[in-house]
This record gives sequence, C-alpha cells and structure tokens, in this order.
Amino acid sequence: MKKLIPIIAVISILAAASYFLLFNTTPTPKEAKNRFKILSFTKTRSCSSLPKFLYKAGIKRPIIDLSQDHYTGIAFYYGIEFKNVLHKKSWEKFEHLGTYTIDKNGDIYLTPNPFISIKPTTFNLQKAIYKMDSSSGELQRWLEIDDIKPTSTNPYGLISLTYNCDDKTIFASAIDKSNYKGSKGRIYHINPKDKSYEVVIKNFDALTLRIIKTTGQKLLLAGNALDNSLYAFELKNNIISQTPHKILSLPNPQLHIRKIKVIGNNKLKLEAIKFSYSLVAATQKKTRFIYTAKFNPKSNSWSIKENK
Amino acid sequence: MTKEIKISAALLVVGLGIISGLYLNKKNQTTPASSAEVVNDTSDKKIIIPDFSDIADIKEVKEYINRLQNIYKEGKSTLPLDDSELDSKGKIAQNIALESKKFLSDSKDSSGKPLHSDIMRVLPAISSMLSISAKQECKDGSCYIVEKYNFATNTTSRAVVNVDKKSIISIKKYPNMQPDISNNLTKIAKAIALKSPEIIKELGHTPTPNELSMANVRTSLKESPCEDKNHLCVAPTFANHQKEMALWAIVDLTSLKLAAAKWAGLGKTYTPACIDERTLQNRYIMKNFCQKDTTLNKDGWSFIYHLTGSDGLEIRDILYKGKKVAKSLKIVDWHVAYKGYEADKLDTSNPSIVEGRQIEFVKGDNNEYTFGYNDAMGCPMFSTSVVLAFNGPQIKPIIQDSKEVGFSITQDFRNPKWPMACNYRYQNRFDFYKDGSFRVVGINLGRGCSNKAIYRPVMRLDIDSPSNKENFSIYQNNSWQSWSKESMYQSTSQEELYSGKYLYKIASSDSEGYYIEPNRGQFKDNSRGDHERVFVSKYKESEGDEDLLTLGSCCKLKEDGVESYINGESIDSTNLVIWYVPKMQNDDREGHEYCWSDSAIDKNGNPTVKLYPCIVGPKFTPISKAK
Repeated sequence: MKKLIPIIAVISILAAASYFLLFNTTPTPKEAKNRFKILSFTKTRSCSSLPKFLYKAGIKRPIIDLSQDHYTGIAFYYGIEFKNVLHKKSWEKFEHLGTYTIDKNGDIYLTPNPFISIKPTTFNLQKAIYKMDSSSGELQRWLEIDDIKPTSTNPYGLISLTYNCDDKTIFASAIDKSNYKGSKGRIYHINPKDKSYEVVIKNFDALTLRIIKTTGQKLLLAGNALDNSLYAFELKNNIISQTPHKILSLPNPQLHIRKIKVIGNNKLKLEAIKFSYSLVAATQKKTRFIYTAKFNPKSNSWSIKENK
Repeated sequence: MTKEIKISAALLVVGLGIISGLYLNKKNQTTPASSAEVVNDTSDKKIIIPDFSDIADIKEVKEYINRLQNIYKEGKSTLPLDDSELDSKGKIAQNIALESKKFLSDSKDSSGKPLHSDIMRVLPAISSMLSISAKQECKDGSCYIVEKYNFATNTTSRAVVNVDKKSIISIKKYPNMQPDISNNLTKIAKAIALKSPEIIKELGHTPTPNELSMANVRTSLKESPCEDKNHLCVAPTFANHQKEMALWAIVDLTSLKLAAAKWAGLGKTYTPACIDERTLQNRYIMKNFCQKDTTLNKDGWSFIYHLTGSDGLEIRDILYKGKKVAKSLKIVDWHVAYKGYEADKLDTSNPSIVEGRQIEFVKGDNNEYTFGYNDAMGCPMFSTSVVLAFNGPQIKPIIQDSKEVGFSITQDFRNPKWPMACNYRYQNRFDFYKDGSFRVVGINLGRGCSNKAIYRPVMRLDIDSPSNKENFSIYQNNSWQSWSKESMYQSTSQEELYSGKYLYKIASSDSEGYYIEPNRGQFKDNSRGDHERVFVSKYKESEGDEDLLTLGSCCKLKEDGVESYINGESIDSTNLVIWYVPKMQNDDREGHEYCWSDSAIDKNGNPTVKLYPCIVGPKFTPISKAK
C-alpha cells in the first residue's frame, strides 16, 4: 500500500489543480479588478419639462402611451385613475411610435416602430425622429437620417433615444443593417440646435438608451437587441467611450431590455421583451417582462428579480 | 527510482500538460466578447431539429401506449402509478382517488372518449399543500396527495386523501399547470432521448443511461419548452465533460417524441428551462435555411433553395438535365379575406388588430364588406413575416401507383398558436417529376377566423429558357392565342383544355417550353380547383426577384396586388414572369371541411389536430413530354 502513496498524491494534486483551474468560477483578484465597476446611483429629478400644451390643457402628470394597443402614434392618459385620454388623429400620421424622450423645453422626441403590418410607407418612416412641439402639440417629422435603410429582412430603423440634460443633446440608436450574423447598429449623437449628428458608436444594437449618473460617473446604459444584457458606455465630458461594458444579464436569455428606469437607491426597473427583428407575429399575451435589478456597490454585483 | 515513483512522475507531467491545455482553452473561451459575438455565443451552437415524425418508434413508448390502450379497453382512462412507485399507504390513497368520480371527472370527453391521464405522484401530504382545515385533519400523518395530469386538457388535479378514514378531503384542479412527472414517464423520457437516432448521431455513439442527467424535470421548468405550451415536456441533458459541452434534448411527453436538441457549453448559467423548442427552431432555421443556399441534385433536377424574409421558400436556378427551367419559383403572399355584412355600421376610425395583424376593411356593394390581412411567410427572425417557418424544408419521394416518380420539397409555415382561431398554417410545396414536369403547390391548413374565408396565394413563377425569350399563350377557340402585351386572365374553370389538360403555355419555340395544367381537382388531393387569375409581366428585377413586401390589398377581391406590374408592355419573345393566383373558400360544414383544421383527441387519448387541407397550384409539363 505504501508503494501507491506517490501515485495517490499525484492524482490528488491533479484533481485539486483541475478543480481550481477548470471548474472554479470565482473570479480571480485580477479578474475582479479588471471588471468594470459602477458606483452607487440613485433616482434623480429629470430636467425634462411637462409639454406646455399639456400644462395649458390642465394635464399635469400624464402617462405617455406608446403601447399602440388602443391608439396609433401617441396618447396621453390623465386625470383620476388615468381614465381620461388625449389623442389627436393627426398624431397617427407617422403611424406607430416606440420610445420617447422629453427635453428641458417640454418638446417630445419620438422614435418610430414597424409595429405589425408593413405598408409601402413603413420603411421610410423608420428613418426619422419625430418631434411633438411643446407649445402646439403638433407632431412633425423632425430629423431624417438618410443612412438608415430598413429592409424586408430587418424592418427596423431608429429604435430608441434619450436626452442628455447636461449638454442638451440627444443620443439615438438605430438597428437597421444588422442581420443574424451580427450587429451593425449605431448610436448617433444629435445636436437639436442645428440637427447635426454623428455616429458615435458602431456595431452595437441598442434597443433602449438611458443616461444615469453615479457618485462619480456618467453612463449611457443600453439594452442590447441581440442579447439579454445591459451595457454601459462611459460619458466623460459628454464624450462617449467606445467600449461597451456588460454590467448585468437577465436570467432569461431570450429576453432583451427595452426600457430602463432608475427607481431608487442602486435600483433599476428593467422592462424586457422577446425581440427577433421581425414583426409582432409570435402573439403572446404577456409581451413585457418586468425585472427589478438591485446593485450592490460593495461587491460590484447585481441581484435581479422578475416582478410578477 | 522505484517503478511507482516513475509512474507518478509520468502521471504528473501528462496530467499537468492536459490541465494546462484545457485551462488555456477555457481562458480563450471566457475572454470578454464584443456584443456581436455575444449573439453568436448563444445562437451558433449546433441545433438539431428532427424531421416531422409520429411518436417515437421505441420499445418503452410502445409498451406505454399498450398500457394506455389496455386501460381504455377496460373502460378506464387514467394510468395509475406502478406499485414500485408507491408505499403501502400510497397504494391505498391511489385506489381511493381512482374510485372518485369527481377526481376522474375530466378524464373523458363529452362523447365518452378517454382523455390521456396519468397519476404522476402519490406522496405523504406536505403541510404547505394543505388548507387550514386539512392541516388539522392530516396532522397525524394519515393523509396523502395524489396528483393526476390530463395530457389532453393540460390540467393537473390534486386530491388530498385521508388513508386511515379512506376518504377524500379535497380535490382541486389546476388548468394549464403541469406536475412533476412520474418515475415511469421519466424512464420514457430518458428512453426517447437515449434512443433517438438524432441524439445517437450527434453523440457519435449509443449513449448509456449514466450519461444522461434529468436534473431539469418539471420542477425547474417554468413553462413548457415545447412549441405547443400545452404539451408536457422535459429536458434531459447529456454532458460531455471532455468537450465541455452538453447536448440538451427537449422531449415532448404528450407527443411522445424528441422535439429538439441543442449543444451548448457546460459553463452556461442558464439551463434548458430557458431554451424552448421555438427558440431552437428559429435558430436552426435561420442558420441552415435563411443564411445560406442549399443545393439539391436529384432525379435529373438541380437547384438551390432557401427561406426568404417574406416570400416563403424560394427555389432558384432550376435546371433539368442541365437545361434551364426556371430562375425562381415562390409563393410571395397569402391574401386572406372574410366577408362581413352591415358595412354601414362598421367603425374603422381605430385600427383593429387580431392575433398580431392589422385588419384591413374594404366596403363593397349591398352593404357588404370584406376584411382580413395579407400573410407573408418567411424566416422566423430578421423578417417581415407573420407566419413563420417551422422546421426546415422536407424532401420526400412522390409515389404514384407504388412507383417513385419524383420528389417534393415542402416548407411548413405556422402561427405559434395554430390551430386556434385566427391562427394560420401554410405549406409551400414544389413537386419535381423524373420526366421533367413540375408543380408549384400552395397548401392551406386552416384555421382562420371564420367559415367565410377566401384565400388567395400569390405565386411568382419566373420561368426560364435557354434563349431567355419566352412567349405566353392561352388555349382558346381550339388554338393557342399568344399574348403580345402584359395582361391578366380570369379563369372560369370551365374552359376547354388542350389535350384535356392544358390551358396555358410558356415556350421559347414550338418544342421548347411548358404546357401549364391548371388544377381542376384532377390531382387526386381532394382539391376543389384553382379558380385562378393569371398575370404575365415582363421580367423586372424590382418586381419581385428579391423579397417582395406584401402585395396590394387582402380584401379587394377583384384585385390581387399584381395589377401594378401589368402596364401593357410588350411581352413578345422576352423574359417573362407568370403570376398565378388561385382562389379558394374555406368550409367548416361537417363532412365537407376544406381549408380547415380542428383540435381532436387521438386513439391514445392525446390532443391532436385534424387537417382538412386545400391544395392548389398548376403543373408544368415539358411540351416534348405532353400527351
């Protein structure tokens, strides 16, 4: 038996080495150090103003409805239990809308959405950002980006946008040109003053955008149309870094983050959808999945829970 | 140095070498990926979708079905647990439950036909499963839980049985809920996974039960991973630690067959619970049929085929014995229209959406109107289709009079909830015969929204010839009348046919080309005919050579959407495109069903779908072969 001791010892050493090197998933101190670290954040008051035409109409805290369930385009629910609706027929002229952001003046900027049926006009509508004027409430085709080219194999164009309160600019994302093999999406940085724009991020399909400030950072958060993760781009002096840092992933790999909201200290509300760059054909009663993601700054980790 | 020391040293060197190699490999794999690569990481691992098949042809499944048939013969409908899965009190509890009319109340349909039901678990009552009053009665440990699953209605029933008092305390039914499965069904699921030819082929050997993990049975599956969420499905896994890969199988226990399988890395944080049949189908179809062309050479025919974004299955560059036949054959759309009455009461101020489609309304005469939508078929991702490809193209022999006379290639397209109302299933089929003839076939498998549906598939047939110059003719007044300009013809279905078969002809010379045989029900497939409208246009790339968006209106029954391509241009000896638009009306009358489908119960008590297809489309026969 004693003779076998060296062999047993070697096998034990190899087993231990295998475990630590191959199966142990705890990050090494070096890996932990390299991991992008975000700092604490909390809910802050937005610089966005209530559109003046709503204020004049006595509508103070409306819910902006882009669900397209009952109204094409945009509708505002207001009053007790939000039973009243403001919707104009003229707000349907650009068909279905998907996301919005509001600036300091109360102007609402909106992105289109190829909702269900493709019409001859649908692709052209995806190339523009629409603006609802704060004073008049009129909806207009505000900015067209010629580079955007939806097709029958990817009917999407501009898909999301967010307002940067600090320099009064807009980040907008487009996901046309992407295909099954990979991402060709862009994030545009737009100056509303002169409608100039430039592509600041390439090859990233942002299904949603949201700017947040942590205790020492400013981040552009982006839900990815191609995976189930939330990414962060650093904004230093309002200049965006080129590296997307994956900060969390939803437990369900089939879902994609479509809306991001800060709801408390280190807490995000994430709305997720199934998304396959095609129309809403897979009719499911439950189309949105809501998660609460809580960040622990000490361990630089997230706990994610689905709200049912 | 002793022999043992030498062995130890050799072991150490070899072992460290292997571990280092594996470690470096792992490190490479876990390097942070760009966002584009992240997608590939979750989608590019190999997916296996079995061909359409009936229940798995294996011993364990046959035995299980025999057991079911035996209890049905005895007038029963619920398969009890084997004694091996029960303790002595459990046996009593099961017997008491199986004698309860209330517990078995959903075990037969209204006609008395048994609905497949299995007892899944019998176990001592757990406090958390009991009501307050039951907790009191059961605190001495005298109670058992008996769980039954009805496969046909996707319902779980749970009875709390007091074994000592031989009475049932409560019975609750949980519609659309699935229980943990019995050991017997676990064995069957394992057997299906272990013996499926697709799995054996993937693993490269016949696996043993030890290679299989069934950790992910019902308890961790939030919802059925199968395409049909009402099916009871489980996901056994084969782990290959050497390759750091696992083969995940999705086994459908309602249909008793393998639904799908997928290779994935062992280090995934998600489980098969998150990967469902539809997702696997989508990735499999995208990777194999939407992203690349497949070449087929068979019976003298050669062509490429692929799935399109919105024009269904397209067959391209078709040659027969090396000669050009067609540049492209495809069905670009299905127009679906329903008739309605009281058009004056119609409110179209807000869009109407049914099952994901925006409905179009067209007011007509006599206070009638038509409403419906255009259905595009195509790839399940990156497309503008609403009826999505299911499984890949299936190639099968055509047998006539016990003789193989050619082959067909068929692609299935379905709405996810078919055969529920307002969900659709279409098939594109292309028949290629050994004699050089071919047929383009559109198949509608229902079910639609009502019994007054008019379906019109729009077929785009870009026939080719060696000279690329064709002429189109129609047989009228006992002779072939050539068309000189782009035109349309509405068939009466009563026309006299050349040689009793052919109404149209496309040819580049007297002997080169095809006679076109419209379907008048002669193809022995229960068709009620094409009732077609035919358009012929000069070939233009922009007119459908690439993916076409939906054409025209669903519901203007006098238009097919092709009209915009018919401008009176000369089509004399030029490259032509034939647009062939059959028209059929569905029928739900009992015994006369057509373009229809119905949910039913099969002989094993399981849910099934009765199909009443309507099959349309013309056959092209080489002029030289026409009789």
